[in-house]
Amino acid sequence: MSSHFTPPQPVENDIRNFGRWFEDRLPIASFIGDHLGKYPTPRNLNYMWNFGSLAGIALILQIITGLFLAMHYKGDIHLAFDSVQTIMRDIEWGWVIRNMHMVGASFFFIVVYIHIGRGLYFGSYKSPREVLWGLGIVIFLLMMATAFMGYVLPWGQMSYWGATVITNLLSVIPFVGPDIVIWLWGGYSVGDPTLSRFYAIHFVLPFVIVGVVILHIWALHLHKSNNPLGIDLKKADDYIPFHPYYTIKDIFGLGVYLIPFTFMVFFAPDYLGHPDNYIPANPLVTPAHIVPEWYFLPFYAILRAIPIKELGVLAMFGSILILFVLPWLDRSPVRSARFRPLYKQLFWLFVVNFLILGWVGAKPAEGMYVTIAQICTALYFGFFALLPVLAKVEKPRPLPATL
Amino acid sequence: MIRMMMVGLALLAPAAWAGEGAALPHKDWGFEGVRATWDKDELYRGYTVATQVCMACHSFKYVSHRDLMRVGFTESEVQTLAKALNMDMNAKLKTGMDDATAKETFGKVPPDLSLMNRARPGGADYTYALMHGYSDDSATIVKYLPGGVPQGAYFNTYYPGHAIAMANPLSGPGLVTYHDGKEATVDQMAHDVSVFMQWTAEPERMDRQAWGVYVLIYLFIFTVLAYLTKRVIWKDVKKH
Repeated sequence: MSSHFTPPQPVENDIRNFGRWFEDRLPIASFIGDHLGKYPTPRNLNYMWNFGSLAGIALILQIITGLFLAMHYKGDIHLAFDSVQTIMRDIEWGWVIRNMHMVGASFFFIVVYIHIGRGLYFGSYKSPREVLWGLGIVIFLLMMATAFMGYVLPWGQMSYWGATVITNLLSVIPFVGPDIVIWLWGGYSVGDPTLSRFYAIHFVLPFVIVGVVILHIWALHLHKSNNPLGIDLKKADDYIPFHPYYTIKDIFGLGVYLIPFTFMVFFAPDYLGHPDNYIPANPLVTPAHIVPEWYFLPFYAILRAIPIKELGVLAMFGSILILFVLPWLDRSPVRSARFRPLYKQLFWLFVVNFLILGWVGAKPAEGMYVTIAQICTALYFGFFALLPVLAKVEKPRPLPATL
Repeated sequence: MIRMMMVGLALLAPAAWAGEGAALPHKDWGFEGVRATWDKDELYRGYTVATQVCMACHSFKYVSHRDLMRVGFTESEVQTLAKALNMDMNAKLKTGMDDATAKETFGKVPPDLSLMNRARPGGADYTYALMHGYSDDSATIVKYLPGGVPQGAYFNTYYPGHAIAMANPLSGPGLVTYHDGKEATVDQMAHDVSVFMQWTAEPERMDRQAWGVYVLIYLFIFTVLAYLTKRVIWKDVKKH
């Protein structure tokens, strides 16, 4: 064991040369330099590769705006709704901060959906990036939990009834389900204890996400980014340093992202929300139809497509969890859909099907809509079921040896 | 336990889609579009209807007289208005009716109106349509409510379900006298109160839109410059 150990080397103790002195004691500058500045990045990345850093920026924006909201928000069922109105009316710039946080949540999901779609299209989940992909799914799940609890905080009608419906899903767990739901609520219905704990969890989860993001980037930097050709890049000049090439490309991408984001913040802040959430929560009045936020709709559609509640809940959670095993379901050695004629078509079918699921999730669960949701749910899982077979029947186009 | 199961059922069983109100006609509002602005006279008239008609039963609990200074009222104007209602200018616009009396009279406390235009699809269009939606015409009523209007409710074309607990508040012209001598027709009052309620629902609206224009111009220039810089930096990278 000890043969591999090199004792610490003596270093200069001249604090007048502060940069060197500090670096000898904590080499943070070279760490940042290696992982941001000099980090080797494939030179052929297209604009789909902008969404990773965009997601990071969206997360930081949520944390900063959220921090300022937390200074004025009151996590108490008697004060919560009014405190949001105080932020909107009386706090200097409160309306900007709240609109950014509200629209920011939606835009975070748009970015992450595109980011996941890019991984799916270019086979970024395949060996050796399975753990990187899995960590991404963990981030996605944490985001969903955070967003769900965040939507409860304004304590409007949709907050209350959305929370009631979704927490009730856990009651299907055999034997202990109903007790778990009561434990989660801190009472016999969604109430003040629920709101306080959701606030606490909503505040802390983003920092857990930051932690998993660091692991996600660690795993990325070990094998470097995948690229649109999906081939392993072996030559040194296939790579360019992250800075300045991708810093400037990401800054440009950020500008393109911020334009529609800003438009929503200043001109249509309520567009993606539900008017019912401007009605204070009332346990005695059930809204005509309880709809989750738009980014949950495809999964909500899967839940409602299946008439047996237990199976519906399983299908809903399964539809996300199945992504964890995707690297083993897809047996094809070729990563990029550019060289997989059948997979390419299947991918776009999957995307369209996912969008239809989102659309049908906002419709009432009756008549034709149920049938559509059932067909789309079957197609959703059918995509994953077809993947192992696909690798056998598909003839990939020849891969280039190098860029 | 039973409630949990009920909610579960409501979730999975085909939910009865509650009867929607009729489609709302769209009106051109001064607070919409490129030249959007709060019209002080419009708001003043709307305020008159709100305080003299609506506030008999409803409150605007997020708004005070002082807030009117944000849309061009002077302090002395606001003082005078508040004094006329025996109110402090910093007090919120609350109805004189206490909750107990309201419950006894109507069965429940009439909802606060500050946020109503944000809490209903259609916003001001909804409020305006609702003020015009009352009807005694039996042919119209039967068309929407074949079973007749329930006891204690009133027919309204635009109310979801068409049976509303509120009697027609703008039952005829001349309910108020406007400061600017404008004739207080039902349509005029409905229009003005809808604008006033839009203001109480989102007083930040004009600040928001004004800032939005500058932020977008800034970002547009930023993005163009970023793109040009990107092109310069990437010039030496081999095309594949």
